[in-house]
Amino acid sequence: MAKGLIISGEFGNIVVREKTGKKLELGELLMAETGDQKILFQVFDLVYGSQLSQQNLELVSGLRLEGDSDMELMDGNLRNYILAKIKSLVTIQNNKAIAPKTLPNFFSSVRAVVKEDFDFLLTKTNHRFFIGNLRSGTKVLDLPIFLDGEKVLSHHILISGTTGRGKSVLMSNLLWHMISETYCSLLVLDPHDEYYGRNKIGLKDHPEAKEKLVYYTPRNPPAGCKTLKINLESLYPNHFNGVVYWSDAQKQALAAYYRKYQQKWIEAIVLEKPLDVKFIEATTDVVRRKIMQILHLNVESETLICKGIFDKEAGQTTVKDIMGELGSGKTVVIDTSEFDGAVEILIGGILATNALNSHKNCSSDELRQKPVISIVLEEAPRVLGKEALERGPNVFSTIAREGRKFKIGLTAITQLPSLIPRDILANMNTKIILGVELKPERQALIESAAQDLSSDERNIASLDIGEAIVSSNFAKFAIPVKIPFFNDIVEAAKQISVKQNFEGVKLR
Amino acid sequence: MKFAHIADCHVGGWREPKLREVNKKSFISVIDYCLKIGVDFLLLSGDLFNTAMPPMDSLRIVVEQLKKLADQNIPVYAIPGSHDFSPAGKTILDVLESAGLMQNVCTGQEVEGKLRLDFVIDPKTKIKITGLLGKKGGLEKNYFYNLDKKHLEEPSTRYKIFMFHSAISELKPKGLEKMDAMPVSLLPKNFNYYAGGHVHVIDNSSISGYENIVYPGPIYPNSFSELEKLKKGGFVIVDNGHIQHLKIEPHPVISLDIDCENKTPEEANSELIDLLNDIDLKETIVTLRAKGCLRTGNPTDIKFKEFFKKAYAQGAYFVMKNTNKLVSKEFEEIKTNKNSVEEIEDTAIGEHAGQLGVFEAEREKEIAKEMIRVMSYEKEDGEKTADFECRVRTDVDALLEL
Repeated sequence: MAKGLIISGEFGNIVVREKTGKKLELGELLMAETGDQKILFQVFDLVYGSQLSQQNLELVSGLRLEGDSDMELMDGNLRNYILAKIKSLVTIQNNKAIAPKTLPNFFSSVRAVVKEDFDFLLTKTNHRFFIGNLRSGTKVLDLPIFLDGEKVLSHHILISGTTGRGKSVLMSNLLWHMISETYCSLLVLDPHDEYYGRNKIGLKDHPEAKEKLVYYTPRNPPAGCKTLKINLESLYPNHFNGVVYWSDAQKQALAAYYRKYQQKWIEAIVLEKPLDVKFIEATTDVVRRKIMQILHLNVESETLICKGIFDKEAGQTTVKDIMGELGSGKTVVIDTSEFDGAVEILIGGILATNALNSHKNCSSDELRQKPVISIVLEEAPRVLGKEALERGPNVFSTIAREGRKFKIGLTAITQLPSLIPRDILANMNTKIILGVELKPERQALIESAAQDLSSDERNIASLDIGEAIVSSNFAKFAIPVKIPFFNDIVEAAKQISVKQNFEGVKLR
Repeated sequence: MKFAHIADCHVGGWREPKLREVNKKSFISVIDYCLKIGVDFLLLSGDLFNTAMPPMDSLRIVVEQLKKLADQNIPVYAIPGSHDFSPAGKTILDVLESAGLMQNVCTGQEVEGKLRLDFVIDPKTKIKITGLLGKKGGLEKNYFYNLDKKHLEEPSTRYKIFMFHSAISELKPKGLEKMDAMPVSLLPKNFNYYAGGHVHVIDNSSISGYENIVYPGPIYPNSFSELEKLKKGGFVIVDNGHIQHLKIEPHPVISLDIDCENKTPEEANSELIDLLNDIDLKETIVTLRAKGCLRTGNPTDIKFKEFFKKAYAQGAYFVMKNTNKLVSKEFEEIKTNKNSVEEIEDTAIGEHAGQLGVFEAEREKEIAKEMIRVMSYEKEDGEKTADFECRVRTDVDALLEL
């Protein structure tokens, strides 16, 4: 059934007259068929059209407002109408999508899309990455959208949207589906402790959670979850890059302590052990104070006391355990809600550095066997923002630039993408865009998107809760999707628990 | 209140007769010490024997020692460890318990799908004791997931002890990264003492509100690398809350290393013999670890026999070597970074898991490991070949769930 006719315009800005009662929507997908080709369009703007002059329109409206006239100048359905501005997304020929290079015939009719129009989207990869269901305007099609997850995750993802537009639900959905996959591992630094679902529905309710989800928390771990403890000997001076500001002299002091005391370097700093090279007292004092503050260390009777998650006894294998878990395709969620930003960045930095190095040290054959690791960063500008990078490069900016070669990617979440430098934004090859109200933020996204979104500003601004546009180097066009409600997904996956036998226990 | 805590005795554990003897001697001396200081009871946190069906001589020594404790009215509270079960679920601990020589505290009932453990109350001290067994491959973790913890965590005015035979992730020492472990959060809270076993390290930790998680370590090291690292056996005495780790050293251990990297066999031989100069080896156990890539020749050109001869001449009790990391240029391409037979087995199994397609990869790994263990059982003294075959067959059938 036709929803309109193409009546004028130019490439990238075609005008369609809406058929009365068919209500075209911003972001709606339309299909035109010409011979053996189909062209997929998307509405990016809606305007009024009329056969009457502006003067006559004003006259008619005046009569209605002031008089009580029901005067009709022409048949209502013919006289006034809606014009939609549409752009072509892809041309489909023999079930293959190609970039559009022709205009459809004049007066071609456009119709609503149906599920079968998108057979060309069916991914042939085993590395399925579910984003949501295809959306046409506000209508949701029963068509789950999958991309090639290995490529998408290793080439970085940016998730952007204003508060309340569904970033957390989207991330929960992504994590939920990734738990079952073996081609990837996700390391989630969770500053709001919202994904595991300690006191609500969350990833813990996944049927495979016991085998494939690991949750680290510094406080009162739920049964089966791990207490986050990191041994001081797991730390190296470069882990502190970008955590707080260090002057050159302070950086040199950190390196000098490490050179002399190796794995015991933190203890040496705190207990003020001597160095072979001379530093002025103020430098070592500041270094000591900063280290003690970041790591929550204290000294009592010349003994190092650990008050936080960094410990001199426990946590000797934590970093290796996490690397092992990521290496075996598990999702690791780290509750960082109790830490200040510096500690969270430090923990993230330690793990990211280890992950990157372990993949860098692999031969290409070994690397092929490894799952791609994606590091989920909430409020990404804290480590990828211009201000953060002025403190010096950190491991996250390194991963953003070269991680894809080593199957390490970032999934950066932010409502302020404009704070991230352009070169890093450009390296985020998949952008999942939720509703963004601020123009500078929309601009930052549009300018760095994989597809031309220059005419989509209105579309992005009008995205409702749970609606998103996915622009990716690994998608044929910027795909509009609807993120499912997380609770519905969890409910659908509920399973009857398997009865455990207690062989070996002497049961009464 | 005074009690002893031992674990990982692995009586009968060494293939080398001399070391098997040392292991037995250690067990005897620990029990004799407990008798001497008059403990109220003894906790045994799993792996009393090295196999589920121990050889007769090991069994005799254990029975004799437990009998001495029983005669002095010193109860032994135990949980089975990962080495204490045959795949068919049989354990010699049942026999010892039936004979009144120990009490298995891993008892309880199933309530609405959960395991509700019972407390055993020590008659003399009124201390409440319970615990959960250890299984191969850390499979006891599922039991912990299904444990009725509320019942165990109820506050009590009495001293409470929880026995377990599992590694704790947060407390694993370096070098044991690959060991199956469970998070501390699976242990029930509100116990005064957590009597651990399975991890062959000596530790006493408190973490996340859990006080006194204690691993006494093995009563005697059970492998070459443990001898190198631990040197001694150990056990714990808790005297009115004061935790004391005690050592057992029937023979001092001297660990020597030789780095053969880029050396000729002649250079390595000369260095090897010099290693023993000016060392008192009387009644010692000597471990020698040779590593590196020889510049010429191959590892068989190194005269380890002469080293052994010299060491024994200097009075050594036992000498052993490890050449896993010794290679020659000709064979350099055959590399392994694994230290023990178990690690090499684990790696090989891990690489091939899932190829049969009969079981899931993880299950196949467990079965393969267990199969190696089952097939390594030796025929017992006096056991008929037919009985031995039947025993192995039964174990294999149970393992494969046939």
